[in-house]
Amino acid sequence: MQNLIILAAAGDAADKGPVAEIVKTFGVNWPLFISQCIAFLVLAFLLKKLAYKPVLEMLETRRKTIAESMENAEQIKAELAETQTERNKVLAEANQKAEQLIADAKEAAKQVGEAEGQKAVKQAEEIIRKAREATDADRDRMMSELKSEIGRLVVETTAKVSGKILTAEDQQRLIDETNRELAA
Amino acid sequence: MNFRRFLLALTLFVALPFPTLFGAEEATAAESASAGESHHGDGHKEKHHGLPKTAPILFHGIGGDPESGKVGPLAVTNSMVVMLIVAAGIILVAQLATRKAKIIPGGLQNFVEWLVESLYGFFEGVLGAHMVKKTFWFFATIFIFILFSNWFGLLPGMGTVGWNVDSTGHVHEPLLRGVNADLNMTLAMAAIFMVLWMYWCLKEIGPGGVVGHIFAVKGHGSGFFGIFLVVVFICVGVIEIVSIGVRPVALTFRLYGNIFAGENMLESVMMMGGLYLGWLAVLPFYLLEVLVGLVQALVFALLTSVFTALMCEHHEEEHSH
Repeated sequence: MQNLIILAAAGDAADKGPVAEIVKTFGVNWPLFISQCIAFLVLAFLLKKLAYKPVLEMLETRRKTIAESMENAEQIKAELAETQTERNKVLAEANQKAEQLIADAKEAAKQVGEAEGQKAVKQAEEIIRKAREATDADRDRMMSELKSEIGRLVVETTAKVSGKILTAEDQQRLIDETNRELAA
Repeated sequence: MNFRRFLLALTLFVALPFPTLFGAEEATAAESASAGESHHGDGHKEKHHGLPKTAPILFHGIGGDPESGKVGPLAVTNSMVVMLIVAAGIILVAQLATRKAKIIPGGLQNFVEWLVESLYGFFEGVLGAHMVKKTFWFFATIFIFILFSNWFGLLPGMGTVGWNVDSTGHVHEPLLRGVNADLNMTLAMAAIFMVLWMYWCLKEIGPGGVVGHIFAVKGHGSGFFGIFLVVVFICVGVIEIVSIGVRPVALTFRLYGNIFAGENMLESVMMMGGLYLGWLAVLPFYLLEVLVGLVQALVFALLTSVFTALMCEHHEEEHSH
C-alpha cells in the first residue's frame, strides 16, 4: 500500500508510526485518493459549466428583465398620471370656457333683449303719441267744424225766429256767444 | 436574516454531538471487530456487524493485485461507484434543468435556480460579493455533492447488495457504500480545498499578506513592550499555523466520522430491532441521519468558506476603503 506525503514526512518508520496506522486503518492510498480528487474536480468543473454559470446568468437576466419591467411600469404609471392630470386640466379649461361662453351669450342676449324692449317701448310710445296727436287733431277739426256749423245754425235760427236780417255784427256776436256756451 | 443565522447555528450545535455520541460506541465495537481484518473476510469469524472502516476495493486497477492488496491506477472501490452515480445524477439534473432555460422558470429549472440562488446568497453573506464570484463553484459543489452523497447513502441497498455473503447474511463486499464513509473521498475534498485556499489567499493578499495575516501584526510598540509584542505575535502565528495544519485533518475526519458512524448506527439499530421490528427501531435514526447529512454538508461548506473569508476579507476591507 502506498502512503501519503504526511507519511513520507514521518520518516522511514512508515509502517510503525501513528500516521501509518491511521492510513492503514482507513484504507487511504494514492490511486484512490488521486482518482477521487480528479472525480471531484471534474464534477465541480461540469457543474460550473452546466449549472452555476447558466443559472446565475439566467438569474441576472431575469433580474434585469424584472427591473426593466418595473421601470417601464413605473414610467407608464407616471405617464398615465400625467395624462390624467392633463386631461383633467383640459376638461376644466373647456368647462370654464363653455361657462364663460354661456355667460357671455346670456349677457349678450340680455342686452339685445333690453335694447329691443326699449325700442319697442319707444315705438309703442311713438305710436301712441302719434295716435293721440291724430285724435287731438281730429277732435279739434271736428270741434271747429261743429262750432262753425252750430254758429251758422244759431244765426239762421235766430234770423228765422226774429224775422229780421242780422247784421254782420250781430252774426259775429251770436257765433261768439254760442262758442262760449259750447266751450263751457 | 439574523434569525436564520441563529437558527442555523442552533441546528449545528444541537445536531453535531448526536452522531458522535451514538457512533462512538459503534466505532469502538467495530474497531475491535475489524482489528486485523483484511479485505477478503477471513477475519470475520466473530459476530461482526457494522461497516468496515475501509471501502472494499472492487477492482484493483491497472497493475493492481487483489492477492497482495496492491492498488494500481483506475482502481474502483464501492464508495467510488456510488460517487460516480451521485455525480452523474447531479450532472444530469443540472443538464436537464438548464438545457432549455427559460426566463419564466418551471419545475426542475425552478428548483435548481432556487438551490443555486440560495447557496449564492448564503456564501455571499460569508465571503462577500468579491470573493463569492471566484469561489462559488467550489463551495456550491462541496455542499451539493456532500449533501446528495449523504442522502444517497441512506437509500436501501447500501451495504446490503454485493459479494462475499457469509452465513449470517452479512455482505462483506457490498457494491455500494456511502461516498463520505470513505476517508479517501473526504481527504480528497479537504486536500483540494487546502490547495485552492492557498491559491486564493496568495492571489488575494499575496505572500506578504498571508504571513502578515498569520502573524497578526496589527500594531507597533517601543522598548520592552515592543519586544513583548513581537514574542506574542510569533506565538500567535505558530498557533495559527498549527490551526491551519489541523484544518484539513479535522475536515476529513469530521465528515468521514459522522457518515461512517451514522451508517454503522443505522445497521446496529436495525439489528437490535430484530427481523420484524428493525424498520421501526431504525426510523427515528433514519430521520436523524437525514438531518446529519444536511448538517455535515453545511458544516463542511461553511467551515471551508469561513476559512477562506477569514484569510481574504482583510484584503477586501482595504479594497472598499
